[in-house]
Amino acid sequence: MTRVALIDDHALVRAGVRAELEAAFRIVGEAGDVPDAIDLIVREKPDVVVCDVHLPSGTAADVIAGAVARGVTTVFLALSVSDAAEDVIAVIRAGARGYITKATDGAGLIDAVQRVAGGDAVFSPRLAGFVLDAFSTDLATPEADPELDQLTAREQEVMRLLARGYAYKEIARRLTISIKTVESHASAVLRKLQLSNRNELTRWAADRRIL
Amino acid sequence: MIPTAAQRAKWQMPRIDRSDRVLGGVAAAIAVEIGVQPLIMRTLFLVLAIAGGWGLVLYALAWAFIAIASPTRISPYTPVPKGATPTHRHLAVLVIATGLLIIFARLSSDVFAGIVWPVGFVSTGALIAWSRGQAEPEGLSVVARVVAGLTVAVGGLIAFAALQFNLVDTLIALVFGLALVAGVAIVAAPSVIRLARDLDSERQDRVRTDERARISAHLHDSVLQTLSLIQRHVDDPVRTAQLARQQERELRNWLYGPGPSRADTVRLQEGLEAMATRVEQSHGIKIDVVAVGDSAAFPRATLTPLLEAAGEAMTNAAKHAGVDRIDVYAEHRASQVEVFVRDTGAGFDPDAVVGDRRGLSESIIGRMHRAGGSATVFSSPESGTEIELVLPIEMNGVSS
Repeated sequence: MTRVALIDDHALVRAGVRAELEAAFRIVGEAGDVPDAIDLIVREKPDVVVCDVHLPSGTAADVIAGAVARGVTTVFLALSVSDAAEDVIAVIRAGARGYITKATDGAGLIDAVQRVAGGDAVFSPRLAGFVLDAFSTDLATPEADPELDQLTAREQEVMRLLARGYAYKEIARRLTISIKTVESHASAVLRKLQLSNRNELTRWAADRRIL
Repeated sequence: MIPTAAQRAKWQMPRIDRSDRVLGGVAAAIAVEIGVQPLIMRTLFLVLAIAGGWGLVLYALAWAFIAIASPTRISPYTPVPKGATPTHRHLAVLVIATGLLIIFARLSSDVFAGIVWPVGFVSTGALIAWSRGQAEPEGLSVVARVVAGLTVAVGGLIAFAALQFNLVDTLIALVFGLALVAGVAIVAAPSVIRLARDLDSERQDRVRTDERARISAHLHDSVLQTLSLIQRHVDDPVRTAQLARQQERELRNWLYGPGPSRADTVRLQEGLEAMATRVEQSHGIKIDVVAVGDSAAFPRATLTPLLEAAGEAMTNAAKHAGVDRIDVYAEHRASQVEVFVRDTGAGFDPDAVVGDRRGLSESIIGRMHRAGGSATVFSSPESGTEIELVLPIEMNGVSS
């Protein structure tokens, strides 16, 4: 059974998420702070860490960096109420395999955890929207950094459908491809988002903030 | 001749007219109030100044009074000429001027003579240095004004002293005077600097406090109010969820939103969120709005048909789909805006829709066509409904 750790500074939220996940997974521990979270991850080595983006002493990105620094490779799923583009992008770039909002219902949450545990990427419609914005060719300046990978037409199509609220299964049916192919497109986009030139994305996030 | 009540003019505080002035505009202001040519008053002040320096003192005093009194006066200023005829006026000015000259001439012969000139120079210099409030935009800079004022004051004093006493004594006295001023400056400097720094940090504190007060006020008006409303509606889960959702959207917009557009423009996301909030409130459903390429503020009239059609699509989904959430996706590409409203609910056969479902044919498809766009419905009983709205947008005149 997949072993899951919960990181959130609000006990109430942890209790709610635990109630949703307990039916499908084994919850190995909870933490409400960055150092506690890293200790928990190092000690328990969970398969999946469901982590709030904002914590009292840092962010999910700090937890991911801290765990990696202590040699633990685990899969992170960011769970947040934040809609700020830079929060979303920062935690994905730190290495999270997915980002969903706390508005996601129980089934969606279980599905997301299973998906990241299986090595796939999980996009909420909003994250897909951010990705489309970040890789939009309209925004790229003429002297755009060649390191900023562009999305392929197919990847854009998949992202657009995700942003429109389609599930992987529905996308597969609509584009008449297999679910596995949809998943590999999503993973490719996630990888590009994580590896692309940092400045370009940071500028994009900053631009969006001060619009 | 005694003026009748109708002819009797009321005296008002003169107003300095920034466009008509030589030095501080005082002579012109008084002239306007009395009803004579400004040149007459200017000449009068000049004559009084030459006659023992009294003109300078009078001028500076008048300027101080007028400058302090004028800016706060909002009432319209309509000076009435004084005296029954122009002859009366000019005669009165001449009599007063002569009287002043005689008095000053008498005073100048005794001990006052040594005081009036210095006071006149210093007050005129101060006038020049302080005349910031009266300066027009293209006026002298602060530094230039202070330097000019100091030059008049100090130069006048030196010239006066050199005439009264001898030049060498004057210069020695000047050096001592400067040394004294420098000494005072050195002693006082730390206190002055500390005072300035205190004022600065106090201002920063005030800014912080104001910001905090602004945030508390916002949280109080929105979040706390909603929380207390929720407590009162605990036994009504639908209402509670609606309140929470509405508050969440509002707070999110406040925290992460781009801020409100001008009244005549609207951003895509902003407009759709407003529409979604309305539908959420009346139907108790969750609507997620995602917008891409949302950098431009459109003229409100341009986007209105699209927003209203999208709102109608959301309402339809809320009413007929039987689901608890709707996804709205909007994208602004080079020359068009696309909006997708999607639910995973009941679905229907678009071709089988009967004429009484005016919501779809009239409020969505018809509205989009009239605006020069299009609306397409994708729906089937097993895969839910998606309505695609496309509106071509001319980018001219659209600013971000």
